[in-house]
Amino acid sequence: MTFHPDILCPFCGLGCGDIRIDRDQSGIAPRPSGCPQADRLFRRSMAVPTDARLDGAAIPMDDAIAEAVRLLGSSRAPLIAGLTADVEGVLAALSLAERIGATVDHERSDALFRNMAVLRRFGWSVTTLAELRNRCDLVLVVGPDPAAAFPRLWERWVVPEPAFAGGNGRSVVFLGGEPLPETVRCLGARVETSGLDTGAETDLATLVGRLRTALAGRLAAGDPMAALATRLRSARYAVVVWAAGLFEGPQPDLIVEGLVRLIRTVDGTTRCAGLPLSGADNLIGANQACGWRTGFPLRTGFDGGGPLHDPERFDWHSRLRDADVTLWISAFRPETPPLTTGGSVIMLAPPETIVAPEPVLFIPVGTPGIDHPGDVFRTDGVVALHAGALIDRGLPSVADVIGRMLAAIGQNAETREAAGC
Amino acid sequence: MLTKLAGGRLFDPANGRHGEVADLWLRDDRIAADPGPGATPDAVHDVTGKVVMAGAIDIHSHIAGGKVNLARLLMGEEHERHRFAGHACGCDRIGGGSGIATPSTHTTGARYIEMGFTAAFEPAMLGSNARHAHLEMSDIPYIDTGGYLVLGNEDFLLDLIATNAGQAAVNDYVAWMLMATQSLAVKVVNPGGINAFKFNARSLDLDEAGPHYGVTPRSVLTVLARAVYELGLPHPLHVHGCNLGVPGNVTTTLDTIQAASGLPMHMTHIQFHSYDTAGDRKFSSGAAALAEAVNRTPTLSVDIGQVMFGQTVTASADTMAQRHTAPLAHPRKWLAMDIECDAGCGVVPFRYRDKSYVNALQWAIGLELFLLLDDPWRVFLTTDHPNGAPFTFYPELIRLLMDRDYRLAKLAEIHPDAPAHTTLGSIAREYTLAEIAIMTRAAPARILGLADRGHLAPGASADVTVYSDFTDRRAMFERPDLVFKSGRLVVRDGVLVAMAQGCTHVVRPGFDDLIERRIARHFDERIGLPIKHFRIQDAEIRHGAGPQLHPCRRREVP
Repeated sequence: MTFHPDILCPFCGLGCGDIRIDRDQSGIAPRPSGCPQADRLFRRSMAVPTDARLDGAAIPMDDAIAEAVRLLGSSRAPLIAGLTADVEGVLAALSLAERIGATVDHERSDALFRNMAVLRRFGWSVTTLAELRNRCDLVLVVGPDPAAAFPRLWERWVVPEPAFAGGNGRSVVFLGGEPLPETVRCLGARVETSGLDTGAETDLATLVGRLRTALAGRLAAGDPMAALATRLRSARYAVVVWAAGLFEGPQPDLIVEGLVRLIRTVDGTTRCAGLPLSGADNLIGANQACGWRTGFPLRTGFDGGGPLHDPERFDWHSRLRDADVTLWISAFRPETPPLTTGGSVIMLAPPETIVAPEPVLFIPVGTPGIDHPGDVFRTDGVVALHAGALIDRGLPSVADVIGRMLAAIGQNAETREAAGC
Repeated sequence: MLTKLAGGRLFDPANGRHGEVADLWLRDDRIAADPGPGATPDAVHDVTGKVVMAGAIDIHSHIAGGKVNLARLLMGEEHERHRFAGHACGCDRIGGGSGIATPSTHTTGARYIEMGFTAAFEPAMLGSNARHAHLEMSDIPYIDTGGYLVLGNEDFLLDLIATNAGQAAVNDYVAWMLMATQSLAVKVVNPGGINAFKFNARSLDLDEAGPHYGVTPRSVLTVLARAVYELGLPHPLHVHGCNLGVPGNVTTTLDTIQAASGLPMHMTHIQFHSYDTAGDRKFSSGAAALAEAVNRTPTLSVDIGQVMFGQTVTASADTMAQRHTAPLAHPRKWLAMDIECDAGCGVVPFRYRDKSYVNALQWAIGLELFLLLDDPWRVFLTTDHPNGAPFTFYPELIRLLMDRDYRLAKLAEIHPDAPAHTTLGSIAREYTLAEIAIMTRAAPARILGLADRGHLAPGASADVTVYSDFTDRRAMFERPDLVFKSGRLVVRDGVLVAMAQGCTHVVRPGFDDLIERRIARHFDERIGLPIKHFRIQDAEIRHGAGPQLHPCRRREVP
């Protein structure tokens, strides 16, 4: 048995670097971290099947690559999605997409695009986790408690005393959502109720609108919303936190835009910044890599004229329906959403993954930060982290597998060109 | 592989050649000595009458990292209008992507190499964003890269200065950070100002004490300039000063030169720091006074940050300055970010118009500086890409510098009141090919400490560009006949013909290990990340290829 402290967690997007792992011949297991995701996903067994499968039957890896290339090469409308991989895996997927004319999207990109839509049409004013931890004296949480998706957010970034808040500590106000019981336990007296009807049944867009009205000075002084506006304006460094993926109701991007405008108003006189949270399974890294490689966010495809972006048409949910071949990449979690498609599915996923129905082709891959090193981005988009390898189960990375596909496509192309001469 | 470039005119100022006719030999990835009679080159290119130079080097171009990638997202309309399919080249697809002001990675590499540039350096890499910047730089094909680490606004450094930790501690910290972030040089951006903005200060002058720490920009500047000097970094402190873009800021810029008190310093995009307040509009050129100060200060080098007319986007760590620019955004959207107790970033799209008095004057001030600065070894061709203009404007800029008639014709087209507030119309100087070769090759390599780049002596990297000597200098520099990267012919007649990869340049001065304990405590208590996850290993650079290390020579301030 060996013990490994300070291991980097690549899963939810908070980038915790203090996970403690025990390793023996049977595999790895985490010591309790306070995070249900890390506690579950770092538990991996050495004894896993490493064979690729064609229609459920084991085949050699070379044959699997050849079959994937045959399927993708003959596809007229290919989709590369899931896309939960380290940065190198995502870049390989983008090279493949360019080569075969596929569109790309990440499994969890819904949350991202609610924020991205506002960034692209309006801009924003945001901050990062260490600024939240050290500068913020007032946290305004809008909508459902983000701890549902980012379990250690409060413990790691809000419980420590802020270094630069003038010694006044900090308050956490929830608007339009209730703190989870574990959040209340974690934050204790820091949690304040705004005195507003903030239950889940309240329409978030309306609440944000009222707060903006209050900031404009158009609500009566006795209104609790006016009191909240005053709090925001008198804070030294207020941070508005939201997890857009948890917003319900139509047009969630309009709530985000309202928040960004609200932040701009407050930030005109005192400091205020947003913290839009999304980003499990390297969603942010996938979007960053797609951005630098193509110039566009996710939901981008390639036609004869270069990369082409369409946030509605290239959403994987809708592309899945008409794609004749889908390459589904899921390197982080041994689980996949139901894939309803009339086309064929090639799946790159950890060997523990239980899939039903069985895809045409299944190629087992390792998990970045467990089976091989890999780069992932934190939810705030600035900090990229290099997760190391913990065990060797003989599993290739997504980049390895796609690299072999690209090499095979290149060879096919050379053969064709030679034959044509 | 032995290649002969026969009969070209060599412009190789580092080796005293200013157009002499000579053969040039490349063996594998290096320039080689003439192997003598009997040699059998694998390839011979007749370049009789052509101009042969080393590959060009851009010392200041925002090509990678968080703010650039955010700018790409913000500039969606431009990217949709300018999409590029990958160029089929054997079994590779090269150069595909999108964008002009913020081109995607493959497109960036393609546009640079097509113009004969074989290196470009990202001048504003935040420590907290360094891994991202390196991931992006390694995805830019063809060109060498490297990053200048932004220091001078981190809470850790300001605390060292405020608590009088001493110059030795600062030196160790700077050296540790250079190692941990795999950087080539140190840049300071609005010293202390970005930090002050986080405490809600909206401006900070050179001698004004900042909030919380009570540290002045002047002390940040001098402490860092001294650290860079004493650690013996090849590149002097790269300074983006206070009050960028503010009318009257030439006074601050002149004071900043004084603050260096003899220590070497590189002042970047000085066009944006050369504004006076004469005239009805209280906005005029301060170029003459600044050029005079630079000319008489041999320890100083500058790059210009030339403005060219058209749509671009400004991306900077200087959140304080960008908040002032934001109301002028075109299109009307912008973003700002406070970052990791480190620095920040602000991205504001901008359209420079020749019929705007201010923009026209900015254009004229840049050219005025180029032409009034008399030592081409100390002035560098930059547009501060993309802040003044996209780097693809360099051929046009070179024509403006080399062709007075063309320049005067352009001066006649700008806002009619602008020419009266600059001396540009009265300047007769025309840059020579030798001076262009200094400014874009020999001098950048020298000031960055890249001993085997920027020249054509045996042993140098075989990065070579061959141009036709057209009278239209824009046409000449836009489309070289041949470009070699590390000995491989990658561009022929302006078209990509093969793929190549550059390398990442870094420095690594030593430090006393004691500082690591203090930094580790800061990471645990403030940054919330064990220090080991911050440090970038060699194996992470360019998919395991690792960085190219350049020596530092420790010195004492006399």
